This record gives sequence, structure tokens and C-alpha cells, in this order.
Amino acid sequence: MGEAMMLKGIAVSDGIGIGNAFVVGRKSLSYENRAVSNIEEELTRYHEAAAKFTERTNAMADKISANTSKKEGEILRGHILMLNDPYMSSEIEKLISSGVCAEEALSNVCDSFINIFSSVDDELTSQRAADVCDVKASMLSILLGVEEVSLGGLPPQTVVVAEELTPSMTSDINGENIVGIVTERGGKNSHSSIIARALGIPAVIGVEGAAELLKNGDKVIVDGLSGNIIVSPDTDTLRVYIGKQSSFNEESGELNHFRGKPTVTGDGKVKKLYCNIGYADEAVRARECDGEGIGLFRTELMFLNREEPPTEDEQFSWYKKAALTFRESSVTIRTLDIGGDKVIPYLGIEKEENPYLGNRAVRYCLKHEDIFRTQLRAILRASTFGKINIMIPLVTGVEELRAVKGIIANIKRELRIKSIEFDDSIKVGIMIETPAAAIKADLLAEEADFFSIGTNDLIQYTMAVDRGNSNVEYLYSPLDPAVIRSIKRIIECAHDAGIPVEMCGEAAADPLMLPLLISFGLDGFSVSPSYVLKTRRNISKWNKESADKIVQQILLLKTEREIREFIKAELKEIK
Amino acid sequence: MVNKTFTIISADGLHLRTAGVLASEMGKFSCNVAIIHNGMTFNAKSLMNILTACIKCGDNVEICCSGGDEQEALSRAEDLIESNFIM
Repeated sequence: MGEAMMLKGIAVSDGIGIGNAFVVGRKSLSYENRAVSNIEEELTRYHEAAAKFTERTNAMADKISANTSKKEGEILRGHILMLNDPYMSSEIEKLISSGVCAEEALSNVCDSFINIFSSVDDELTSQRAADVCDVKASMLSILLGVEEVSLGGLPPQTVVVAEELTPSMTSDINGENIVGIVTERGGKNSHSSIIARALGIPAVIGVEGAAELLKNGDKVIVDGLSGNIIVSPDTDTLRVYIGKQSSFNEESGELNHFRGKPTVTGDGKVKKLYCNIGYADEAVRARECDGEGIGLFRTELMFLNREEPPTEDEQFSWYKKAALTFRESSVTIRTLDIGGDKVIPYLGIEKEENPYLGNRAVRYCLKHEDIFRTQLRAILRASTFGKINIMIPLVTGVEELRAVKGIIANIKRELRIKSIEFDDSIKVGIMIETPAAAIKADLLAEEADFFSIGTNDLIQYTMAVDRGNSNVEYLYSPLDPAVIRSIKRIIECAHDAGIPVEMCGEAAADPLMLPLLISFGLDGFSVSPSYVLKTRRNISKWNKESADKIVQQILLLKTEREIREFIKAELKEIK
Repeated sequence: MVNKTFTIISADGLHLRTAGVLASEMGKFSCNVAIIHNGMTFNAKSLMNILTACIKCGDNVEICCSGGDEQEALSRAEDLIESNFIM
């Protein structure tokens, strides 16, 4: 056994695989660029190869669509459409007819598309470059007859290590014997990744030098959750991963049962289960993870790492995309939440002594109305494409809410004059994340359309603690009686005023918080996409009556620690 | 020639699946079908050609059909785009 070694790549298919390496040797796809004398023969050779590619890829797509994933099958069918595209094939045929050999003609035309697609600064379009690369490699291997490696008859517990997997290699892949896939190249949607996800095989791609560094028979751990590859692990590491593997398998089996189902408590109360996202593209992932809508679209991330503020049209396209992705439910967009902890030269934010207590979020926006108005106008314009809500961060009082509503009313007037459509009934709600807002929740509830409790900041401000400071982070907990009382009050005030209240901080996904949130009657949970199914399962385990019983006792406890221990003990019982 | 302007509503824009559906459906008609996007013209019967147009969600595109069955082709395109390519 060799020395232990860790490699890093990009995780593209969840799970943990432990097995023995089977290294698919590098195969040369180089060819001699020869002049063709018999053009008819060369055209036939090309068409036969294309027919073979089509037949094989179709068979694979059928297998995948039937087995698991319709979407993955569609990507493969897309590859067939690409090769047989009238424009693409006529270009290739033209080149062959001018005396160029099939390999060169194919490479030439494919490369020109790869160049076009990869020069566009758009993730989806650059994935298309990877698709064309895939098509080119498989076609070359068919034309050159170097396609003998088959992954069909491999022994059990095999981890396949390759430069890249092509459709020809995987046409008779056996998902039962292959426990992991490691490749050097490829993207999230390249052939290897698609096959891996469709067959539920843990996979890591982009592992540089993997096919050289790993040897046949090496013991390998493929961590498809973190993207780590551990070669020749010691016994301790192996033991840790065997544990991780079995808990992952157990959990994913159980969680899949909750996919596509509504979120309901044990006694049948329906809750909203939404996602937190930071970029418009993540809305698609939220959907894939079975989120029911977007409860928090943080917009500040999209303002970072750039030279100038995003334009109204640019922002409009982001918000619209998210709205369209969840057209049937809703998307809550939080306006710019930014302050002196991040230096953004073009926003003119000054470094402050106490950025968390300084000129940030809505305070900053009300002082820089031009930036704020641009964002609000973009949001309003996008609001006709779905159901958008506006959420204001770091509110400390009614005057801020009124000021923002005034600006929104003003922008609506402008849009009306210009006959630009928007959703006139757009809801304007606030984040409750400061003690001031929590204490004044009754006053705010009279003028806000909804509340969303931002627990991360609410805890920090309530406990006067910086969670990043290791000397005091022990004070940071959603289970402190102060935080619990605050949350209880916020929810009660919202319901007294007849407005809905959601939670979008990390506490929304914390199983220890659930009895409290169910008992208080929280209406919606917004969590990161990967927590959707877990949270849905956890919610299903509680009903109002049992939660109320526990909460009555929790409210009598005086310390965070007692509360934590108490809930933990109760959780063990309901399992 | 008949033409009409549409807004693309699928979240990923005109991408592999949607562009593929459009190209193969348009391929069934004998007339010429073009997509005009940002002033450039693309062949709507060619998936690769549509992909190079990089049409995003919310973009406006004009579909122009000319030839014998132009009316049928345009209404098929309309059905596809407005149903978000659900076939």
C-alpha cells in the first residue's frame, strides 16, 4: 500500500465511496491530419461514426431516463442534437468535401464552437463548451477506433479513475460495482458527472493528475460531498469515513421520501419551506433541492467584487430570473444589506470603527437614495414576472419602514407615468433582527406586510456578542432565554396584527429550535437549499400539542444550557 | 413573411433543452425560420446556431418565418415559447 495522500477536486455527485482504484489509461486522441483522396469514402466514414455515436448515446439516455433522472437524459439527447445539427453537420461535410479528413473536420468545427461558447461570460453557455468537448472526444474515439475500455465488467468496490469518461466507456457501466468516480477534467454537466448523478455514484471531478497519481488497486475514498479524494487512507481515517458513509446512506434514503411532498407538521398544519439564496442562479438549485420558494434573496453578494454598481437592467434580469423560477410561489428580495465591514470603493462606504453598529443596510440605503432607488426600480419592474416581496434589513423603527414605503410609492408613480408594468400589490416586509425591532414588533406589525426573523443578527445584537470572536462565541445561541422570548414576542405581535412571520436565519434549520417555532406558530422557514428535505422531515415529527407541552417547560428554564439539554433529551424520546 | 416578438420565460433562457426542442420542431417545417436577437439573425432550425445567440431569460426575440408553411411554423413556435417548451 502506498503512502496516504489527499487530492482535491469538485464534488459533483453526493455520497461517499470507498473502494479500489481502476485507472483508465490515457488514450491518445491524436491523429494524423492527412489529405483525403476519396471524398465519398471519407464522408461515409464520418456518417457511420455519427450514426454509431447517436445510437450509443440514445441507448444511454434511454437507460438513464428510465432509471433515474429525466433531466440528465435530456442533456445526453442534447449531445445528439448538437452533432446532428444541420448547421454543424453541413460545416463538417463542407470541410471533408474540400479534402480534409473526418477527424480534422470534426475537430475544426467543434473547436470553433468551443471557442464561441467559452468566450461568453455566462455559466450555462460555458457548460455548452464542455458539452461540445464531450461530443468531440467521443466522436474522435469512434473515428480512431480507440474505444475499447469498457466499464461493464469491473469487479465490485471499484473506484474508476480517468482523465474523463466518454459515452463509449460508460455505455455498459454497472452502477452496482462502481462505488466512486474520479476524473481530471469535465464540468458539472459533463458526461461523467451526469452518469454519476444518474446512477447515484459519488463523484469528484477536476482532480488534477489523478490518472497519473493513482495506481490500479490503490485504496481510495471518494468524498462526493466535500470534493476530497483520499488515497491509501490510514485505519483511523477509513473508520471515520465508513461512519460518514453509512449515516449519509441512511439519511439520503429517508430524506428522499420527503421529496415533492408539502411541508406539514404531524398534526397536518402546512408550513412554508423556502430557501435562502445569494445569486439569481441559485434559485434553480433551490428548486432542484425541492424548496417551495425563496424566503431570502440576499442581494449584496452581487454588488461585491466589481468596479461599479450593477445597473438597473442588470439587477432587473437577476430578480426576474428568480421570480420566473418560482412563478407559482414567491420570492422575497432583501434590499442591499451592506456596511463598513466590507470595503466597496464604488459605493463610497467608509471604514467604520463599529461597522455592525454603523451606517449599514437600510440606514445606508436611505442616505444613498440613488443606489437604493435603482435597486427598488429593478425589483418593481421584475415583479410582474412572478410573486415578489420586498424585505428591508436592519430596521430599528417605524420611521425607516415609512421612509422606504414612501420611496417605493414614488417609484411606482414614475413607472405608471412611463407605462412600465409592475405588481401594484407588492408586499413590503421587514427583517426583525435588532432588539429595537423585536421590542417594537407590535408597532412595526401594524405597518409591515410581513416579518422575517433574521436570527443570526438578532442573536448577535441581543446577546451583544460577535460570533466570530472565539473568546465570547459561547454566548451566541438561539436557545438563550433572551432570544427565545424575543422570537416568541415577534411571532405573537405579527399574528395579533394578522401578518405572516417567517424565519430566515440558520436557526430555522436547527432541529433543537423546532418545538419552539412550531409551538409559537411560525408560518414559514427559509433555509439553505441543502437543508430543505431535512427540515421538512424534522417538521413532520412535531405537532402543536406535543410542542406546546415541551415549550411550557422550556419557558420555565433559566439558562441556555438547561434548555439545550432538555430539548436534546426530548428529541431522543420522539425518535 | 410572418413574424412575432416573444419574451423568453424559461429560467435558463434558450438553452440546451429548450433550444433543442425549438430547433427540432422548426426543422419539421419547410419554410425558413430565423430568430433575431439583439439585432443579429440566427437559424432557428439549428441548435448550435441558437446556442451561440446566448438568449437569456427575459430576453426578447423575434421569430421570422418565410416560405410555404410560414403561418403554421410561427404558431408552432408561439405554442412552444409560451408553454415554456413543455411538450
